[in-house]
Amino acid sequence: MSSLETIQRMMAEQFDLKPEVLAPDAQLESLGVDSLSVIEFMFNIEDEFKVKLPDERVEIKTVQDIANIVDSLVAKQKSGS
Amino acid sequence: MARRVVITGLGVVSPVGSKPDDFFNNLMAGRSGIRRLESSFAEKLSVRVAGSVPDFDPSAHFTKMQLTGIERFSQMALAAARQAVEDAALVIEEQERPRAGVYMGTGMGGATTLDECYQELLLRDEPRLRPFSVLLTMNNAAASHISIAYQLQGANVTYSTACSSSAIAIGEACRQIRHGYADVMLAGGSEALLTHGAMKAWEALRTLALEDPNDPAASCKPFSKQRSGLVLGEGAAVLVLEDAERAVKRGAKIYGEIAGYDCSSDASHITKPNAQGQERAIRSALRDAKMQPQDIGYINAHGTATVAGDVEETKAIKLAFGEHAYRVPVSSTKSMHGHLLGATGALEFMAAVLAMQNNAIPPTINLDQPDPECDLDYVPNVGRRGVALDAVMSNSFAFGGSNAVLIARRFQG
Repeated sequence: MSSLETIQRMMAEQFDLKPEVLAPDAQLESLGVDSLSVIEFMFNIEDEFKVKLPDERVEIKTVQDIANIVDSLVAKQKSGS
Repeated sequence: MARRVVITGLGVVSPVGSKPDDFFNNLMAGRSGIRRLESSFAEKLSVRVAGSVPDFDPSAHFTKMQLTGIERFSQMALAAARQAVEDAALVIEEQERPRAGVYMGTGMGGATTLDECYQELLLRDEPRLRPFSVLLTMNNAAASHISIAYQLQGANVTYSTACSSSAIAIGEACRQIRHGYADVMLAGGSEALLTHGAMKAWEALRTLALEDPNDPAASCKPFSKQRSGLVLGEGAAVLVLEDAERAVKRGAKIYGEIAGYDCSSDASHITKPNAQGQERAIRSALRDAKMQPQDIGYINAHGTATVAGDVEETKAIKLAFGEHAYRVPVSSTKSMHGHLLGATGALEFMAAVLAMQNNAIPPTINLDQPDPECDLDYVPNVGRRGVALDAVMSNSFAFGGSNAVLIARRFQG
């Protein structure tokens, strides 16, 4: 199952955004969520999905980008690698 | 000739009111904003009275998204800055921005965040901290947020000289304009350190007042025989300073002129105040203002209510003012709002400016039995109205020996 819905819900909550603006391809910058806020948000993501983001920088521009990263981390964890 | 600097806007978040009028009216009425803390850690404190601002509601000032990146001391600073800018009806055109700046003072900056960080790491054994931790904690966060909010592209500087931080911020901002480096400055201070860690550290220093057994609100007793120390407070105060010519040209409301400022160092002891060092700052500020002691109609004292501090300041005023020391009313409004450390200089200078504007002198409350060594007119318990005030002084004397004195006078164009 994709993490997208949970992420949308968390973003709406943390940033006080209306759920309808959080389309998968919505640009985070245009929602007023700058790169720094994304980093802060990913902190909550780690807690929610019990994952650990890699240290190397990853490109995050849209809501879907976050979901993709989380899905791949969750999948990796499941496969035990 | 050096340019003149006037005050055209005031903003405040304080234990005794979060609008300049409320703040001043409460001071005049002798209302104390000192209360027992209700924080989760309060029971672990030996001294749990403080000048807190329990009604400060961040969500009334900021969106949820903004709040993740702005911590309490910056929130209070921004709220005060917004009031000051609105009060001044200040508009800074795009081409003026590089000549508009912000100088703020703070002692401990993001103390709340720092406390939380240690709790996460040491109590909850968290392996990592929030990404915003540095940006929330840094001392210059408040000034920087103000700079961003109002597009102030000139100097953005934060002073941290303990109890004189924001007096120095105002004085130095005034010099920026006087000497032609800027036309408009936002200046003031903010402090929010009523945290478990900071309060315990202050407790350990044994300079905090004991709670008054009958009335916690009366725990701070400057110049009284019963005084037992200072009461910590939180809040922010921001002033709009402007080149007088600019202010007059745009028809701004003018609260007064910053007539004089200077600072000095005791260079003697890290905590023990020194009357000669304080005297030097007072004399130097008077010289800067080209004024004599008898020109000053009211002094807002540093008056922390520590045993040593009040006696030493009394001596310093006598040394600098001579015979006039016994005629000039001196009050410590800390008896009502407590000691706001890095914000206190700005808050008290604002009290002095409002005193001048209203021709009214706020009292020193809780002063029933004066200390025989404190024998000046401290305006005990009852404020005075209808006193013609043409010039006022505000003293700020810090741990570390850093002294600053500001003088405001009625503006005559």
